[in-house]
This record gives sequence, C-alpha cells and structure tokens, in this order.
Amino acid sequence: MNEIILNYIREQLTHGEAVGEITEEDDLLGSGILDSLGMMRLILFLENEFDVSIPPEDMTIENFMTVSHIRTYLKK
Amino acid sequence: MNVKMNQLAFLLGSYGIKKGDRVAILMNRCLESALAVYGIMKAGAVFVPLDPLAPDGRISFLLRDCGIKCLVTTPLQKKGVLRQLGETSMLEAVIGLQVDGVLNSCSWDEVFSIIPGSHKPVNILEQDLAYIMYTSGTTGIPKGIMHTHYSGLSYARLSADLYKVTPDDRVGNHAPLFFDISTFGYFTAPLAGATTVIIKDAYTKLPASLSGLIEEEKLTIWYSVPLALVQLLLHGVLVNRDLSTLRWVLFGGEHFSAKYLASLMAIWPHARFSNVYGPAEVNQCTYFNLETPPGIDHPIPIGQVWGNTEYKILSDDDSVAAPGTAGELVIRSATMMKGYWNNPELSRKSFYRTTDAAGQDQLFYRTGDLVNTDDSGWLILLGRRDSQVKIRGYRVEPDEIEAILKMHPGVQDAVVIATEKHEGEKELLAAVIPMPESNPEQAELLKHCRNILPPYALPQRILVVPAFPRTRSEKIDRRQIKELLSEQTYE
Repeated sequence: MNEIILNYIREQLTHGEAVGEITEEDDLLGSGILDSLGMMRLILFLENEFDVSIPPEDMTIENFMTVSHIRTYLKK
Repeated sequence: MNVKMNQLAFLLGSYGIKKGDRVAILMNRCLESALAVYGIMKAGAVFVPLDPLAPDGRISFLLRDCGIKCLVTTPLQKKGVLRQLGETSMLEAVIGLQVDGVLNSCSWDEVFSIIPGSHKPVNILEQDLAYIMYTSGTTGIPKGIMHTHYSGLSYARLSADLYKVTPDDRVGNHAPLFFDISTFGYFTAPLAGATTVIIKDAYTKLPASLSGLIEEEKLTIWYSVPLALVQLLLHGVLVNRDLSTLRWVLFGGEHFSAKYLASLMAIWPHARFSNVYGPAEVNQCTYFNLETPPGIDHPIPIGQVWGNTEYKILSDDDSVAAPGTAGELVIRSATMMKGYWNNPELSRKSFYRTTDAAGQDQLFYRTGDLVNTDDSGWLILLGRRDSQVKIRGYRVEPDEIEAILKMHPGVQDAVVIATEKHEGEKELLAAVIPMPESNPEQAELLKHCRNILPPYALPQRILVVPAFPRTRSEKIDRRQIKELLSEQTYE
C-alpha cells in the first residue's frame, strides 16, 4: 500500500526537482511536498484505488500528515 | 518577540547589512517569519519574501534582481538553500540554518543567544523602502513591487481603522508572506495590539483541521482568498464547529462565487463580510461590506475607496470616462507602491500622471482592471482590461461568461479563456469544476449558455475538470488552464 501511494505522489503530485526522494515518514503537508490541490487529488486517488469513502471530518492532519499516517488511517 | 527581533537586527548589522540593503526571507508559514520581517526592518534593511516552492530558477532570478547577499530561513528549507548556493550565488550569509559555502551562517538558537552590544537605532524615514514583493505579471517576468514604511504603515492604519481592530482581536493569517494579503496579519494586527495566528501550511491543505484551528484559537478576524473559504464551506465540517467568535470575514484577491458567499453568510450570521479589493501595488484601495447575502446574478461590488485614496475611471484614450461608462480604474493613495524595483520603464508605464499646476503632478496607479459604477454608486469590477477579447469583431468579457456558467446548478467554478485558433482568429474555451455529486455534460452546459449568451460569446468547448491549477498564491492559474485547454482541442 505504501509503495502505491508513494508512487502516485512521486509521479503525479510533486513539484519535481523541489522535492527529491520521498519516504513514508516525510511530512507531506508542512514541507511543501503537496499543495492544497495536490491533497485533494491524493484523497480522490485513495478513494478510487482502495475503494473507500473518506468523509470530510476524516480529512485531518492526524490522518494525512505522512504516508505512514495515511496507511494507519485507511486500515482503520 | 521584540528581544529576538533585536537580536536578529544586531546580527544583520554585524554581517554588514546596511540601511536599504535587501534581505530575503525564504520560509513557509511559521513564527520565525514574523521575527524576520521586523528584525530586517529594525536593521534598516528591506525584506524580500520568497516562495519556498517556487522553481529554483525563479528564486535565483529574484536574488540576483535584488542583489541579495543575506537570506533568512529555517532548517526546513535546507535543500532549497543548498541548491541556491550551488549556483553562481551572490549569497554571503544565511541566517536560521547552518550551512557551509557562505561567509557567515548562523542557526536560530545562535541568534537567540546573542547579547546585543550597543545598538544604535537606524535612522529610518517614512519614504525609505520597507519591503519588495514580487508578482508574476501577465508577461511572466517577475515584477518587484516596492513598498515604503509609509505605504505599509498607511495600509496598517487604514485597515485597523476600517475593521476596528482592537487588542482583543485574534487574526487568522492564511496567506503566505510573499502574498500581499499577509500584510493584514503581519502589519495591521501588530499595530492594533491584536494577536496574529500564523496558520501553518498543513492546516491550509485540510479544511477540517483548519476549521478546528479557527474554533480552538477563537479567531475573531479572518482574511484569505475566497478559495480557502469555499473549501471550508464544502469540506470543513462547519456543522461540528463553534465559530461564533468570528466577527469579520475578509476576502480578496479573486472573485467570490455568490452562491458560496451566501451559504457562508447563512452559516455565520454573527460575522460581517467584506470584499477587499486592491492590487498588491496599492495594498488595498476599496472595500464593500455586505449587509445582505449577494444575489446570484449580480456581481459583488468592490464598493468604495477607503481613506486617503482617490480614483478615476479612464477611457481607452486616457480621458476621464463619462459617468456611467466603463473604463480602467486608476488609484492614488497613501498605500501606493513607490514603483517596480530595478525597472524604471515599467514603473513609468504603470502610472497615470495628472498635472494640477506646473510642478504639481499627481501619480495614479493603473490597475489594469475595468470598472463601472452601479445604480447605487458602488464600484463594480468587470474584469481585466487585457482579458477583454474581440471575437469576430464583438467585444466579449470572459468573466461574464464565467459568471453565467457558474449560475448552472451543477457548476462549482468556471474559467473562460480566449485562444488564438488561427492567425487573428480567436475562440473561447471553458473549463468547469462540477459540484460534488454532480456530473454536468458539455452539451447541457452549452445549452445553458445558449439560453443566455449571443452565439459569438459561446465557448467552443467546455471541459469538466476535478480542480483548476492554481498559482502559488492560490489564484486560478489562467496561463496553465489555457495550455491545458489548447492541448485538449488539438489532440
């Protein structure tokens, strides 16, 4: 699951050179890896890829800060 | 905070920074940004906020354009700073991050352990430069807007007065420092003795966390682009939040869709809403406080000019337009920029000059925006002067077509652009974001337009997209949309 998410971020959402290598522990939100548009696209991707529905109240920093946080949240 | 600002100012002085030198700030939204702003000004220098997510080439262009030798940053920006040092860099000092390859470098901890020696305050006059803020401009070449201590302080005084900001207020600062909306949080609130809550980047990306923060911090004044408010409305789980402390909601930088604004006004009846208008060259110049929710088919006025400000509406030939006719808005105000850095030619072109008597000239800033007045005398923004296009000889305002698309119940947002199909032959293309749970077809949207618009003003194609590309200040990136739509057409 981690690799699927990381690959999507690497290939579809990052600002290329400004980011470099991304790991599951990297802060996606504070470091500028994703902008607000990128975050929305990531959520849409997660919903389609893993066939889940993510309600607005779950779209929080606690659940989406890192890829590792996202995995923990999706497993719940 | 004051002690820390003095420590930074002292350090800058010891690095040889003198009055008038430019010092860059490369940070995301964080507390150190406020220390940097005031520390640099106390040193008599001019702060130049940079966007950490801007491409390396743009950052190095701005550093060179401003002749910057010293950069204030945080450890989070290490990669970007190192890449700047790698190039043919003029940088001599980096503050806030320990790096090799510069003459001087110092961490924030070291800054905070400085015991300032005998520090002589710098003699700063109100016409001295305080900051330079860069915007892209329509040509894509960055323009450095020069603001003085006078223009910055005038903005702070006028806005603190207009919105009656008091020491009890808690201001939510959503905009990054390189975006002019941030002057309210960084200048106005401190002037009034209010508290500014610098909203960290993570919160700006997740509306449910953002609304939680507004509740927790008991914010009383909010100021952002409309997009952030729309995201709060659509995804911010506002029903679960008690935001009754909000007394002012200011928005600006872009058009606010009337249906969303009306919804927010219904959810937050305790708050007053103000449409703020003003290019970064004049900070703010007009405002319109909404007493009632806006009508769906009426644009929200930009209202009236505020204090210490006058305006004219000019026809194409620079004569003053007849009352009731549209024209370009020009502004003369205390908050006006001094000009564009390192670009006297562009500065000259951006001003409209009147002569009251020999030697008594007045400068007005040409906003490039087309305005008119409505029946009540409020100023109405019609669109950009340069966005007006001629389709087969007819004058068409893309903004008007956008407004019509947005009236469709299935449309959340719309952008209309004109592209050159063949030499001299223009056509209109549109991109729309559907409402959640809605999936309008192109044919249906075209039918909707056909009911209202004349044939020449109909978009040739309407593309439904999940979201628009945005610039770094979160405004809709029209240039990128234009590329996207042009590609789609010729695929």
